[in-house]
Amino acid sequence: MSWAAHDLEPYAFQRHLKLKLAFVPLLIGSYSPDMMTKWFVYGIRLGPWELKADDPAKFHRGWPGFGFTHSFVYGIAIALILWKVFGSKLWGISFLVGQWAHALTDTGDTVGTMLLFPWTFHFHLDAWAYAGQTGRMTDAAAYFSGLGSMWDLVWIVYGLFSWRVLTSSYFDDYIYRADAFWPWLNHVVPRGALLTLYRAAFFYGTSRWIAWTIWAHVIHHYPYDLSWGGPHWVPAAHP
Amino acid sequence: MRLRLKPDLPGRNDLFVFAGYCLAAAVYIAIGVAYVDFLLSFWVGLGYLLLVAWLVPAVARRFG
Repeated sequence: MSWAAHDLEPYAFQRHLKLKLAFVPLLIGSYSPDMMTKWFVYGIRLGPWELKADDPAKFHRGWPGFGFTHSFVYGIAIALILWKVFGSKLWGISFLVGQWAHALTDTGDTVGTMLLFPWTFHFHLDAWAYAGQTGRMTDAAAYFSGLGSMWDLVWIVYGLFSWRVLTSSYFDDYIYRADAFWPWLNHVVPRGALLTLYRAAFFYGTSRWIAWTIWAHVIHHYPYDLSWGGPHWVPAAHP
Repeated sequence: MRLRLKPDLPGRNDLFVFAGYCLAAAVYIAIGVAYVDFLLSFWVGLGYLLLVAWLVPAVARRFG
């Protein structure tokens, strides 16, 4: 799984597609596959009870489980609902682009995704270890020690290279005009706050990448292992 | 006619805004490294950014 790429990819797509996409559904699409499942992958404690999936990788990416949320057909289904039920083709297409980007990015790890669900074959490149089953902290340490974090870094650098996408004038000329959501929200939220909202995911993804890297390598001294499929000091899950 | 390729670099105002966000990021990162729970939620990050990058400057401008 990726820890920052899903925050950052929408800005790269926005750079190339400008008015053809709406940013909010693009970002929601990018987050959507993990929205309802991450907490149960890592587990949470509610008083005396600990709620956690018996097989986190299968629950997250497999079938039976919620792995279908990382498939092309899931993106198409939600996009069609947004288009035909809620009447917004723009939101449907934008959601689709974000969700497909997430599903494709997550093929980079050792579990991969069922891109062509209901065919339950997992497409996986094995570039970095899937370690969600080890718990949130070990997963973070492993992710930020392997190629997954380097893939995130590519998106951070690409985002900084595309700095105009984050400017106030770009927001006014493209983001605000492309989607009626922004003028609607502007009735109750000032323009300065809207601009901050627009920049938030990039800020969150980049800052979090730096913070977790410091946590893993300065505070805790987990070893880097940038070999294919690494880090090999963590037990990687497979489909 | 000679074409000169000029790099697309940010202007002074863009860099000033960027510096403000870098400062906000430095504080966010420091809190996050000390208390990692702070890093886990997008909504916490969003709330923090709205506070430091919009609300505080807006209030400062209003009463400054």
